[in-house]
Amino acid sequence: MRKEKPAGSLIDSTRVPRRLMLFPLVIIFLLITIFPFIFTIALTFTKVSLTGGLHISWNGVYYWSKLLHDGRFWNSVSRTYLIVVCSVFAEYVIGFGLALILWERIKLSSFFQVFYLIPMALTPIAIGYSWRMLFHETKGPLNDILGLLNIRPISWLTNAKTAIFPIIVVDVWQWTPFIFLIMFAALQSFPNSLIEAARIDGASKRTIFSRLIFPILWPSSMAAIFIRIVECFKIIDIIIVLTGGGPGISTETTTLLAYNIGLKSFDLAYGATIATAFFLIVVLTVVVLLGVVNRVTGSSERA
Amino acid sequence: MRRRNILKYIGLVLWLIFIVFPIYWTVVTSLKTREDVIIEAKYAPWVDFTPTLKNYWNVYKEQNTGKYLLNSAVASFSSTIVALLIGSMAAYGLSRFSYKFGFMRNKDIFFWIISQRMMPPIVSVLALFVMFHAVKILDTRLALIITYITFNLPIVVWLMRSFIDQVPTSIEEAAQIDGASYMQILFRIVLPTIVPGIIASFLLCMIFAWNEFLFALILTFDRAQTMPLLVAFQRSQEAIKWWNISALSVITIMPVLILFLLLQKYFLRMTMLGWGKE
Repeated sequence: MRKEKPAGSLIDSTRVPRRLMLFPLVIIFLLITIFPFIFTIALTFTKVSLTGGLHISWNGVYYWSKLLHDGRFWNSVSRTYLIVVCSVFAEYVIGFGLALILWERIKLSSFFQVFYLIPMALTPIAIGYSWRMLFHETKGPLNDILGLLNIRPISWLTNAKTAIFPIIVVDVWQWTPFIFLIMFAALQSFPNSLIEAARIDGASKRTIFSRLIFPILWPSSMAAIFIRIVECFKIIDIIIVLTGGGPGISTETTTLLAYNIGLKSFDLAYGATIATAFFLIVVLTVVVLLGVVNRVTGSSERA
Repeated sequence: MRRRNILKYIGLVLWLIFIVFPIYWTVVTSLKTREDVIIEAKYAPWVDFTPTLKNYWNVYKEQNTGKYLLNSAVASFSSTIVALLIGSMAAYGLSRFSYKFGFMRNKDIFFWIISQRMMPPIVSVLALFVMFHAVKILDTRLALIITYITFNLPIVVWLMRSFIDQVPTSIEEAAQIDGASYMQILFRIVLPTIVPGIIASFLLCMIFAWNEFLFALILTFDRAQTMPLLVAFQRSQEAIKWWNISALSVITIMPVLILFLLLQKYFLRMTMLGWGKE
């Protein structure tokens, strides 16, 4: 829109303030994310002691080789993956479904919308306690209601086999609204004329969805899913409240493990190693997923 | 056809119950006495127990709740204001000028800013702990404010850029001819025309900062602790006092719930704006 200014002294006098607009942001990012990131990587090759002043010494690849054989680390990775895959899948199916229902100009639509978005805004720590009460073995309403159906009380949070389920439920509770919001917004800008045309051609509702709505909204779906995957990998607060990573290490995610090792056992360097390895895993996951998605959509476009 | 509609409403209502019930349960539990909690589940005030506001009075007196509330408020509010300032400057720059830093053009810079959120906070926070330890700002509000600014910046830049893109440039060009600087143009002309965008970004950042847990957990341990930490550490007591925790939870949730209800009329619009872009 804005045309290039003619060459001359004007350019030099304006270029400086132009770059200045980005300056504070770049400084903050360099100081608070880029530098700490490099620092964390450096820490993985050291040994840190905080007793009696800060003391850092070289330690080689000791922690990295320790990490490869650390069953607790790989356990945490598999736990994190399990939570991410189950939660995001459920969130997408439910969120998209609700968005589709509310899209069809149903009565009370805006009333439902307001309520459906609320969980996103609420403090996870506080909500975590609420769910912990709901899942409580003897005093919680969930087992109370199941009791009416003659189902014996289930020790949701204290059994290593079931403890991951409440965590997924809470994540779904809190973040389905996000997918709902994105898909609902995407549906609002969906060209209605296309659907009218398909309907006139006699297409059934199911065909309209699978041949028209779903493919056209695919980019929005992918974006929503990606954002959720990346955010879900960071999960820690509701776990701290619900199970504290237990029983044993059955719900210990990698972020929680890095925190436990780095700041509870005060092995900062090993905590940093876990965090760095975790970041690599997240990036790798996203890159692989993007590759798969591009290949799938690429080949379907060619077909 | 009718049956389908009824099924839809059943689905919508079931999800509504699922959404509302945990919030309801927290509010209800905060009104219970110890005896009403520990024996079995009780569902409704005035029906199967008598509500009381005693728990609120107790947590206010015993837990020094005021301090935590103040920390939360100061940290979220100041970080949000600074993030808005810095973020709108950057968003304006990215919207109006073409930059070139090495190989990076506007699009790359924008993506770089957004991608900052991809990094799990645990990666930077351990290093930040050591850094802040070295410059002696651990357990201060400043430490929280600095980190909150950083994690809110990508959202501000993303939102503000989509709003600024909608503003026509003609007035700005006129102002420029009159000799106004870029900062004057931004603050006097552009920002006043996108007040809804500023409000939306403000509320969103406030909510994120208020709810933040991990940074506060690692970077503070006493003086600067925030509300989520006060709630979280109720866990470590011998017997969990659910009634007190619920009262604290309600206190923690109330401000964000109110902010959110203010925000919700902008929600859909700004999502559509942001989404139309990419």
